[in-house]
Amino acid sequence: MELLKENWIFAEVDLNKVNPITYQLITKMNQISNLPVTVVLIEGASESLEDDIKEYGPDKIITIKNDQLSQGNDLEMTNALDTLIEKTGRPNSFVFAATVVGRSLAPRLQARLRTGLTADCLDLHFEDDDTLVQTKPSYGDNIMCEIVVPNHRPQMATVRSNVFEAKKFNNPMTKVINITNLKVISDQQLTIASKALPQKSAKSINEASRIVAIGRGDKTEENLINAKRLADKMHAVIGVTRPLTDLEEFDINDQIGQSGQSVSPEILVNLGISGAVQYTAGISNAKTIVSANTDKDAPIFKYSDYYFVGNAEEFSKALEKALQ
Amino acid sequence: MKIVVGIKQVPETTNVKINEKTKNIDRRGISGVINQYDRHALEAAFEIKAKTGAEVIVMTMGPDDFVVSLQEALALGADSAVLLSDRAFAGADTLATGYVLSEAIQKIGDVDLVILGQQSVDADTGQMGPIVAEFLGISQVTYASKIDVDNESLHIKRYLETVEQDITAKLPVLLTVTDQANEPKYVNVVEIAKSFEKPVTTWHASDLNLDDDRVGQAGSPSVVRSISSPEAVVKDNHKLAENPQDAADELVKILKEKNILVEDK
Ligand SMILES: Cc1cc2nc3c(=O)[nH]c(=O)nc-3n(C[C@H](O)[C@H](O)[C@H](O)COP(=O)(O)OP(=O)(O)OC[C@H]3O[C@@H](n4cnc5c(N)ncnc54)[C@H](O)[C@@H]3O)c2cc1C
Ligand SMILES: Cc1cc2nc3c(=O)[nH]c(=O)nc-3n(C[C@H](O)[C@H](O)[C@H](O)COP(=O)(O)OP(=O)(O)OC[C@H]3O[C@@H](n4cnc5c(N)ncnc54)[C@H](O)[C@@H]3O)c2cc1C
Repeated sequence: MELLKENWIFAEVDLNKVNPITYQLITKMNQISNLPVTVVLIEGASESLEDDIKEYGPDKIITIKNDQLSQGNDLEMTNALDTLIEKTGRPNSFVFAATVVGRSLAPRLQARLRTGLTADCLDLHFEDDDTLVQTKPSYGDNIMCEIVVPNHRPQMATVRSNVFEAKKFNNPMTKVINITNLKVISDQQLTIASKALPQKSAKSINEASRIVAIGRGDKTEENLINAKRLADKMHAVIGVTRPLTDLEEFDINDQIGQSGQSVSPEILVNLGISGAVQYTAGISNAKTIVSANTDKDAPIFKYSDYYFVGNAEEFSKALEKALQ
Repeated sequence: MKIVVGIKQVPETTNVKINEKTKNIDRRGISGVINQYDRHALEAAFEIKAKTGAEVIVMTMGPDDFVVSLQEALALGADSAVLLSDRAFAGADTLATGYVLSEAIQKIGDVDLVILGQQSVDADTGQMGPIVAEFLGISQVTYASKIDVDNESLHIKRYLETVEQDITAKLPVLLTVTDQANEPKYVNVVEIAKSFEKPVTTWHASDLNLDDDRVGQAGSPSVVRSISSPEAVVKDNHKLAENPQDAADELVKILKEKNILVEDK
């Protein structure tokens, strides 16, 4: 088995746009890797997303230009990456975003290459130059594990969004290698139609630096209006707990928690949220947490820097006023 | 149509601690339940069964006490159950687990559809679906949020961060399902009684056509080097004033002092 002394990052592209987690991974890898850092990008023949990626300064970008590969077909994507790796040799490590795309593709490639993969990492570092030490949460973030893959390459990991910061970096050495003739076996079993979801909020909650989160205890229409006014006043984005996704206007992209989004705002205000572990799993990176709940024993208070025992609506109105 | 649903038995609560002596997860007094997402996987199979008359086989790899969950799945509506249990399977990572599951599915034979949950709530990897699909050599659709069936194909909705996908999948295929896909039903008493007549088969390693190097710890590239309870982030837990306006004023004052929420972003 041919080994390649490089650490690889898979560039996630969602409908012609590079997912920002890709940049976070490049910055982190540049910091921790002693080996060259290579980004693998799969895009349409006429696209040039490598220009965006270059700004973050990896050592190399391998661009597979192909119009046949359908986005979201993990089997085809696995075929493409496997064919590439057959040509280049196996990289030392290969990391993906812990998004739906990454968490679907990476394990399929893992099985193809019969190597180890660690899911949803919160931290990565190298030991002895090439051993990738991966830190991942389990049991809804109640337990942290350190995982290594001593004898197989590539060492694979998916990494959670927004745990590392992306920084632009001018690397005059960045090499771009275009591959236009990669033979990829296509998959006739699936027909996939993709469309962009309407962008509701200007900013998504996983990038927001201020969030007002609404729970079942603050669900009435009037309360929602108040919460939104508070969010406007604070220049914050609205997030919700899962029960609120029953409402027409909220979906999984607005939901904070284990089966929703992880957030990392400067400040998070929880209105009428009990603090179930599936919810608090998504807020461990929030810096300052403020919570209002009528129940003086609400579990969310344990996770809070400041808390108010009482009606969330009254509190949100008062806070809006205090910010005048 | 033949459907296999894979389920995992997980601790009833994820609020677990590390045992200081054994340095392992302390499961004392915590009973096992069917992984929540797998209830949705089962329900998806039952809905397809209701429309097509499909046969539903539920399968789990784990110690003998996982049979409790298989029994519950039978009571919920599965037709038969397979327990994959052998000491040789212990210590398996996702690759080795996926290998055994895929070999067992192949042994069942002529399976058109495999349905798993999007992830387990304990180890949380979500890797089983793609691994099993790869070893079976079939297509996969993960994180299915809505599933409809007609003739020999499935229509699936799937959400990426900023993208919505409508997917038509021909059989055979493997799906993993989210908790948005359906509302799992509860067990009814009549079905519990009937479930004891349904077959539960146990397969040991020797019943499957396995390559010894690929099962259990030996077949696992990943090594869990250490586990720990994360340092609980110490929070101030400062209780604000009782009157809402006093509380809000107090909060804003503190935040300003700490330079939070000062300039508008
Ligand atoms: C597999 C799985 C995955 C899940 N994933 C997620 C996830 O990603 N995100 C998520 O959020 N949930 C998730 N859940 C659901 C989770 O377990 C909880 O049910 C959910 O977080 C509860 O939401 P809540 O706090 O809004 O509602 P509740 O738990 O009902 O809490 C409402 C709170 O409001 C308080 N309250 C009531 N009236 C008022 C008032 N007037 N003023 C102030 N406070 C008031 C109450 O005291 C209570 O504490 C998941 C569950 C499962 C099983
Ligand atoms: C704390 C901890 C951390 C771990 N981290 C990793 C890791 O990073 N990488 C790794 O490779 N292994 C890891 N493992 C090992 C892994 O948990 C086991 O291999 C496990 O059997 C399957 O993984 P999962 O629970 O993550 O399943 P997932 O892939 O999350 O489960 C998805 C679906 O697969 C089905 N399924 C899962 N397990 C079974 C089963 N036993 N029988 C039938 N169907 C099943 C269910 O439908 C489930 O909803 C870890 C184990 C522990 C205890």
